[in-house]
Amino acid sequence: MVDQVATLPSSREFNPWPVGIFICLLVLACLFLAPTIGVMLSSIKTTREIAEGGLWDIPTRLFLGNFVEVLANPAVHRYFLNTFLVTVPATAASIALGVLAGYVFSKLPFWGSNLLFLVLISGMFFPPQVILIPLFQFFNSLGLIDTLWPIIFIHTALGIPICTLLMRNFFATVPNSLREAAILEGANEFQVLTRVALPLSLPALAVLATLQFTWIWNDFLWPLIFTQSDEKRTIMVGIVNLKGQYSVAWGVQGALSLVASLPTLIVFLFFQRYFIKGMTMGAVKG
Amino acid sequence: MANLILRNVSKAFGTTDVIKSVNLEVSHGEFVVFVGPSGCGKSTLLRLITGLEEVTDGQIIIEDRDVTYLKPSKREVAMVFQSYALFPHLTVAENIGFGLKLSKVPKDEISARVKEVASVLRVENLLARKPRQLSGGQRQRVAIGRSIIRQPKVFLFDEPLSNLDAALRVVMRIEITRLHQNLGATMIYVTHDQTEAMTLADRIVVLNEGRIEQVGSPLKLYENPINRFVAGFIGSPAMNFIKGTIDTDDNKMIARLGPYTMEINKPNLNQGMEIEVGIRPEHIAIVSPEEGILTAEVEIIEKLGVESMLYLKTEASEELLTVRTDPKHTIGTGDRLGLKLPESELHFFDQKGDLV
Ligand SMILES: Nc1ncnc2c1ncn2[C@@H]1O[C@H](COP(=O)(O)OP(=O)(O)OP(=O)(O)O)[C@@H](O)[C@H]1O
Ligand SMILES: [Mg+2]
Repeated sequence: MVDQVATLPSSREFNPWPVGIFICLLVLACLFLAPTIGVMLSSIKTTREIAEGGLWDIPTRLFLGNFVEVLANPAVHRYFLNTFLVTVPATAASIALGVLAGYVFSKLPFWGSNLLFLVLISGMFFPPQVILIPLFQFFNSLGLIDTLWPIIFIHTALGIPICTLLMRNFFATVPNSLREAAILEGANEFQVLTRVALPLSLPALAVLATLQFTWIWNDFLWPLIFTQSDEKRTIMVGIVNLKGQYSVAWGVQGALSLVASLPTLIVFLFFQRYFIKGMTMGAVKG
Repeated sequence: MANLILRNVSKAFGTTDVIKSVNLEVSHGEFVVFVGPSGCGKSTLLRLITGLEEVTDGQIIIEDRDVTYLKPSKREVAMVFQSYALFPHLTVAENIGFGLKLSKVPKDEISARVKEVASVLRVENLLARKPRQLSGGQRQRVAIGRSIIRQPKVFLFDEPLSNLDAALRVVMRIEITRLHQNLGATMIYVTHDQTEAMTLADRIVVLNEGRIEQVGSPLKLYENPINRFVAGFIGSPAMNFIKGTIDTDDNKMIARLGPYTMEINKPNLNQGMEIEVGIRPEHIAIVSPEEGILTAEVEIIEKLGVESMLYLKTEASEELLTVRTDPKHTIGTGDRLGLKLPESELHFFDQKGDLV
């Protein structure tokens, strides 16, 4: 007893580790946040203020002209619409296909399905540069350049591996006896999926919806390659495009950047309440 | 009328034969219990009847209809899983009405029938809850409710009570008996529990390594097992077995059990035959060491209240003999006793394990 008490460290003793780690994290957080803060600061300054005082000065007053300009610009409306027209269908399609494939891989395995699954997952590891030129030629031959279609198709396809992986692993946690119980009750495989497996997989669906939406919304490469005219631009290409119209439109660009990141933020806030565990609790024993 | 017929039903997973040519007829309203050691294929047999697994060979007939290759939902069978398999995202009412909703029964009718079933199973006041808000016994009731609402032709239960504690198991066992009487439905029930098997069954089917060893009423299996496997499997505590040989002495047939001999009168036993004698714990009579055929020493005494179990060391076999006695006896550990084995209660098995 006496020994044990003696070896206990004094609570007053200084332990440098947590402090060191905290400082590291704080520095990292600042580094990550700095660009965002810069953008925020510049979005509420006039072009003159930016030119005179630089990016990092705290503005003396709140100038909302940049936001007014951005929100009133019909080209920006077009960018937003185009981005939605790409992001929503591509997100939905990639998740839908991932759900179907994931269900088959986890609940209806067939000869060679594990190998096929690995092949499909390996699709995640192709750098886009490798497939860029063939894809361009392919869509060119279909006459789809400067439309939104190539972007929708490509994002759908690129999303399949991650969607399949996540859904397969999530469906694997849904007990087989639930599927069998539903089948005995007269459900067909599709009804098992929609009435039992999917409602239990809301956390996975929410994660995927957030991931895919953010990724596709923020994508710069594919719209840049497949669209040329201003009417077909998506928002991320559009931000850069504003630079061409105005000499040094830092303020406007900052404002547009902030406005452009709102939808992903909203999507995240909307879905985060489904990021909960324990959906299958009470299904089987315990 | 036969409600369910299995004809030469076989099932192999890859190259392992799990069910080997099972033949069984279950009549209307019968309660049949499958018992057997773990891995003998009880669950597989149930799954073959439901259609969750397809037979490798043979035929399954439900109410004069060959269902061998029909989909599970077309067979009109219902199964209650050991794990309950309730849908966790649905309420109790939605769970019970799941099948009706799928078959597009009007809403009013569903809710009326759900209420009816819920009152039979006494879960009326739980209808709005989710499965995770229920106790084990309540979950099992809901699972049973889901199975009875569609009025299937055959009910299948795969160890439905094994997740419940002992007291609740007794309650649920009685409920299942009541349900069987009320519905008059054909039920097939898998269990590990001897008491459940003996009390619930009209007939017990003893399975071993994918084969049926014996089918019969609980008492018939208890009193007249046709082989050593059934004799050893049915009954708790298990039957005692003593190895021996048949011999003659002064023209009388005797059985030599280790150093002991006893006179027997069994015309179909031959001299020199190697046999095994089985006797139930309650049939061994305790007498004074001088009177007994066997002498034994008491190793362990288990006092169970209504009865006591004595575990006795003899020279007849390596294993201890179990004897069931009145708890009021004054026997203590280490006492020497004489034992008598009444011939009418003996079961003789040949080397293959068959009754002779
Ligand atoms: N899908 C399957 N693939 C391969 N083998 C299987 C499969 N299902 C069951 N088996 C095998 O079949 C045999 C019988 O299994 P089953 O589940 O029917 O046993 P059981 O009698 O229900 O056992 P328990 O009392 O432990 O539940 C076991 O040896 C098991 O390993
Ligand atoms: Mg089993």
